[in-house]
Amino acid sequence: MNIFMRTYILFFVLAGIFFGCSSFPLGFLTKSIRTLGGPIDSVRNKITEPVLPDVPLSVLWIGHATCLIQIHDRVFITDPLLTKTAGMLSQRIVEPGIDPALLTRVDAVLISHLHFDHLSYGSLDMLPKNGVLLLPLGGLEYVPNFSFADICEMKSYSSYTVRGATVTAVPANHFSGRYGFDALWMGSTGFTGYIIEYRGMTVYFAGDTKYDPEMFKEIGKKFKIDVALLPIAPVEPSSIMRRVHMDPAQAVQAMDDLHARVMIPIHYRTLRQGSDSSATFAQDLLKKIIKEKKIENRVYILTIGERKVFEEGFKK
Amino acid sequence: MKQRAVRGLLLIMAVVTASSRLSAQEEMKSPLLSPAWIVLQAVPGVSRTVLPAETHTALEWEVMPLIYSFGMNKNVSPWHVLFATPPERFAGSIELLCSAQFYPAALGDSHWGFSGQLLAHIPLIERGEYLGLNFGAARYEISGTPTTCVVCGAWTLFGFLHYNLKRSIDRDLWMHSIEFRFF
Repeated sequence: MNIFMRTYILFFVLAGIFFGCSSFPLGFLTKSIRTLGGPIDSVRNKITEPVLPDVPLSVLWIGHATCLIQIHDRVFITDPLLTKTAGMLSQRIVEPGIDPALLTRVDAVLISHLHFDHLSYGSLDMLPKNGVLLLPLGGLEYVPNFSFADICEMKSYSSYTVRGATVTAVPANHFSGRYGFDALWMGSTGFTGYIIEYRGMTVYFAGDTKYDPEMFKEIGKKFKIDVALLPIAPVEPSSIMRRVHMDPAQAVQAMDDLHARVMIPIHYRTLRQGSDSSATFAQDLLKKIIKEKKIENRVYILTIGERKVFEEGFKK
Repeated sequence: MKQRAVRGLLLIMAVVTASSRLSAQEEMKSPLLSPAWIVLQAVPGVSRTVLPAETHTALEWEVMPLIYSFGMNKNVSPWHVLFATPPERFAGSIELLCSAQFYPAALGDSHWGFSGQLLAHIPLIERGEYLGLNFGAARYEISGTPTTCVVCGAWTLFGFLHYNLKRSIDRDLWMHSIEFRFF
């Protein structure tokens, strides 16, 4: 083997070491690959009518960051992940909470950022295309032609009105890109949260974000949030995860910073994330906090496939 | 005449680059100015050139002067110069590609080979992110001897890992290559 081929191989060995052979990323990757093809838990008593005839506000948790939000006659879906795997190598633990074929109309599909577990091409293929696809800034160059009625990139605090409902992009604090390297030039673009307002109801979808008190307080000042969908995982290793994610205690604090009436935790239980000891690790932590703080009436933990209906009176 | 053509081509490339990235200019750095992107382009693929009596290994660097992405949404320009995101290639595209090969053991009188290639990329699974095919034609000049090849290949792993097989139509020559495409 000549010097050039040796140098070439050495480059990949060094790159491998540089990108984390010694620590968390490689461990997470090998764990994900090992579990490919393993069993996926089914959802019992799946809802067969995902969209109700008329309801003031409902949130159906489909799994991970995917929620079907209905406000009266308008339907929204967040970060649809309906495929067996996210990004080829990470298999889901629990199947999606609904059969996507039952959805006949979605007014807006909200994509918070470009990571595989939030922007899933296979899942977008499964959805009806009669609504708008909303993306963070920098997202258009990552989305093939799915033939949605419209597609739009959203800057922070820009709004899009769809059939009378207003969707506003709000800041998030996460990390960018889809393929790793692109985060190096995408800067602070490529991730966002959303506020949905329709007929007096306001829902906040945080997407994926770290805990940023100033950001949450600012959003809370601008919008009177009824329901906040807040991520609570992955938790461990906290030294890494807290840079880009929220743990359950931070999510509860964020709910207060936002002055949100109630919160529904998301972004857990569905995929193997971080080095959390079990899929319910974040949920168990959250349950303890709820008990300690006596906030059972403000935090609703849903099971995958479960729907929470909020009646008109819940704002009183 | 040649100089005019080159100037014209450079002008077209500059205009297409500027227009395709104008919308994101305020908040996003151009990848073309990013040291990370430049370093990634320096990562070569490996190609094996099989001749009747001998086989040669080469390192191959590729540059994409122009790509037409027909599989993307309608709100982005289909034309891109030098840089394209992986979906802009693997969701369906026609790409003009130039490459330089370095043969550590000289092939004939030279260590170098060059090519111009025209490739079509067709997505198969997950809009091409998991699996896709490409085919096209390449004009190689290896050690001063030109040859025309037909190309077919496949890619996987989000469009990063490509395998291509090239068969010369005018010489008894095969070439197969493993390519790493980072944007």
